[in-house]
Amino acid sequence: MNAVSSDMSMPPSPDVTPRPSVAVWPWPIALGLLTAFGLLSALLGQHGTWLALSWAALSIPLIVTVAYVLRAWCRTPSVKGGQS
Amino acid sequence: MTTCALRRWFVVHKWTSLVCMLVLLIVCVTGLPMLFSEQIWEVFVGDDDPPYEVLPPGTPDVSLDIIVEKARALYPSQIITSINPDDDEPAVLVSMAPSWQALKDDENHPDRHSGHWIKFDARTARVLKQSRPANTPKEPRTWTGIILSTCTRLHMNLFAGLPGALFMGAMGGVFVASLVSGTVLYGRFMKRLPFGSVRTDRASRLTWLDLHNLLGAATLVWAMVVGFTGLINELQTPLFGLWRVTDVRQILRPYAGLPVPSQDHLSSVQAAFDTAAKAVPGNEVTGLSFPGASFGSPVHYVLWTRGATPLRARLFTPVLVDARTGELTGAYPMPWYLRFLEMSRPLHFGDYGGMPLRILWALLDVMVIGVLVSGLVLWAAKRKIATDARLRALGYELDDIDSAPAFAETVR
Repeated sequence: MNAVSSDMSMPPSPDVTPRPSVAVWPWPIALGLLTAFGLLSALLGQHGTWLALSWAALSIPLIVTVAYVLRAWCRTPSVKGGQS
Repeated sequence: MTTCALRRWFVVHKWTSLVCMLVLLIVCVTGLPMLFSEQIWEVFVGDDDPPYEVLPPGTPDVSLDIIVEKARALYPSQIITSINPDDDEPAVLVSMAPSWQALKDDENHPDRHSGHWIKFDARTARVLKQSRPANTPKEPRTWTGIILSTCTRLHMNLFAGLPGALFMGAMGGVFVASLVSGTVLYGRFMKRLPFGSVRTDRASRLTWLDLHNLLGAATLVWAMVVGFTGLINELQTPLFGLWRVTDVRQILRPYAGLPVPSQDHLSSVQAAFDTAAKAVPGNEVTGLSFPGASFGSPVHYVLWTRGATPLRARLFTPVLVDARTGELTGAYPMPWYLRFLEMSRPLHFGDYGGMPLRILWALLDVMVIGVLVSGLVLWAAKRKIATDARLRALGYELDDIDSAPAFAETVR
């Protein structure tokens, strides 16, 4: 216990971690699972609810992408390179 | 990950992507109209078939034997080759030809079509429509037809038949490799960036890279599924060929040498349909081929049945019924590799979840086009940098408009 708390009180060395690393995979995995679920639920379910769930699940990766692109676009109205 | 491994993954991603880039752009673009081909046909061409007679609901279908007799009476000197009740309309399509030999000869003469068809009303056995006789001038092709068939052939085999299909299959494999290596690189590049960041305030190269990563991550699983099932689809000809030379040949061996009986002395077609339906419960019978067809036996009706649920709708189980006695010979489910092929088809076509699914399919396809284009831009920009560096190393002053004199000066 003591050892751990003394470790934590030490300031992090800035040389080793210039920028904090972020969790890379949660988003891609979540979108991938949603896609897989969407593809399969329509194929195996074939009826009302399952079809609607499939459409919803497959829309989410599209919506997320568009949202992030729009966010970047709005932040800098004079976009360099001019792409969307 | 070591720098060396990263460099290797990068090289794999660059080259696999470049190799399949052109093919992928073609399939992504041609796939869009194919996705909506039914709707495009309806809107731009429509069908000129006469409307169906209005009969009280629940009117039973006539026996297929009556339809067979009528077809024979129309063309007494010809043979019937197959009978196909329509999936969703009360119609029965009867295909006829002068002889099996005439059909076989057609293969050597691409402009000759000795086969023709008659469409009957399934409830009244009245003739609804007939195919145009072979000797009348061809119907002018519509633009819709030309565009759709060009797209389909480009998409499937680049107008190159089986070699083209196998080439496209190989490109599918390369595409899957490119996706895997791209995923590894994504993990490396995104270490210090939150998901979805698109940096627009710095070099435009970074914007393209971020877009490439974002679009790629969002469509990864879809692209993997559609790419892999596309690969499987391109293998259909060899896979069906394999089935033919193994199981099918084994089944048909005892009958191989027998003569094809005259069509006047065959057992009832309707009874054969009923026998087949009983032989494979849960399946629906979609058609019947007469004895003598090139793929079948000389003495059997081949009845094509398929699963009644959408997942199994492409799982065909042929049933053999002896056309001399009307007795069931057997039902032959497809081998595992063809089942796998047929089950993977809907996942490639996106045609199993109504119009919304088709639209989502199209949008995901457009996003994949975005991944391809951004990747191409990144590669081209990088190439320009590399070329510029090389030119600079040779002494060219690239930022100068008059680079030639500058070069001359440095040489001097």
